[in-house]
Amino acid sequence: MSQDPKLPARSAEKVLSEEFFIARSKILDLAATLDRLERADGSLEALHQLKLLEQGMEILLDDQSDKAKRVQLLMSRPYDPDWRKNYGLH
Amino acid sequence: MDYIDPHIHMVSRTTDDYETLARMGCVAMSEPAFWAGFDRGSVESFRDYFRQLTEFEPKRAAQFGIKHYTWLCINAKEAENVSLSREVIAMIPEFLDASNVLGIGEIGLNKNTKNESTIFLEHVDLAARYNQQILIHTPHLEDKYQGTKMILDMLVSDARIERSRVLVDHVEEHTIQEVLDRGFWAGMTLYPITKCTPARAADMIERFGTERLMANSAGDWGPSKPTAIPDLIMELKRRGHSRDLIRKIVYENPCEFFSQSKNFKAPIAAP
Ligand SMILES: [Zn+2]
Repeated sequence: MSQDPKLPARSAEKVLSEEFFIARSKILDLAATLDRLERADGSLEALHQLKLLEQGMEILLDDQSDKAKRVQLLMSRPYDPDWRKNYGLH
Repeated sequence: MDYIDPHIHMVSRTTDDYETLARMGCVAMSEPAFWAGFDRGSVESFRDYFRQLTEFEPKRAAQFGIKHYTWLCINAKEAENVSLSREVIAMIPEFLDASNVLGIGEIGLNKNTKNESTIFLEHVDLAARYNQQILIHTPHLEDKYQGTKMILDMLVSDARIERSRVLVDHVEEHTIQEVLDRGFWAGMTLYPITKCTPARAADMIERFGTERLMANSAGDWGPSKPTAIPDLIMELKRRGHSRDLIRKIVYENPCEFFSQSKNFKAPIAAP
């Protein structure tokens, strides 16, 4: 995707320094949520959702870009291009 | 900074909220028809709701110098009831000449069912027959990706629909590109929790540019913040974006899109 020429670019150092404490607090929220889950009794549904969370966390740590979009797609129901035929809608 | 909120449900907001929005720079808003928090029992209930949207809310907004516009439809949640939906669609033309109506909306999908799709297609046909603009609701969370693609399929299959007169709302990272690439307008809905935040909306502006892109606050029944657009303005300022760029997203783009409806008059905004 091309960049709009009017957009100013923040340096990586600036982004990191401005976002560090926000990201830090989100990691702590996530860590505390996992601790809470560990202390609780599980159900099957919760296990399926836990798998999704684990796969989402793997996306955060891999070396590929477009992480927000990839987490979104992971958490999405699949699209079937033949949906209209399956519904009998013409 | 003066701004326009292109998607905010004021029927679920207090008069104090109108005052707060005015103080924060809101000069105009558009309110799509949506769910009442419960399923309505008859077409008469929708007739009353459309009177509220075309008579009462514009007056409530005007007390604070805000211009109020609206869109009419039966929302995707209640579209599961096909016979009631058809009665509502047949009644909508009674209101299309009201002076604050911009078009048909927010139509869309909720759980991506056959009934919702059937009623979506009938709304699109209504919009085409009456030469109305369209405002689209895309589903939330795990249904968004599938539902957005189904909606785009249905829109492009109707040759009468001009894509530049359709606004697809609630886009997120996985749906925005296809909406813009296919020539539609896109709206990012800012929520305090679980959905798109002002920071992620700012990221999408930085990645996809400012053409055919807007932001809105929804202000619906769930946790939502009617002053979310000023939050986005603050976030963009904090990142060093120009006043021109911010103004294009929050004022000029809504004006450009709405101007395709005969009822829209651009408010006089401070430069
Ligand atoms: Zn809405």
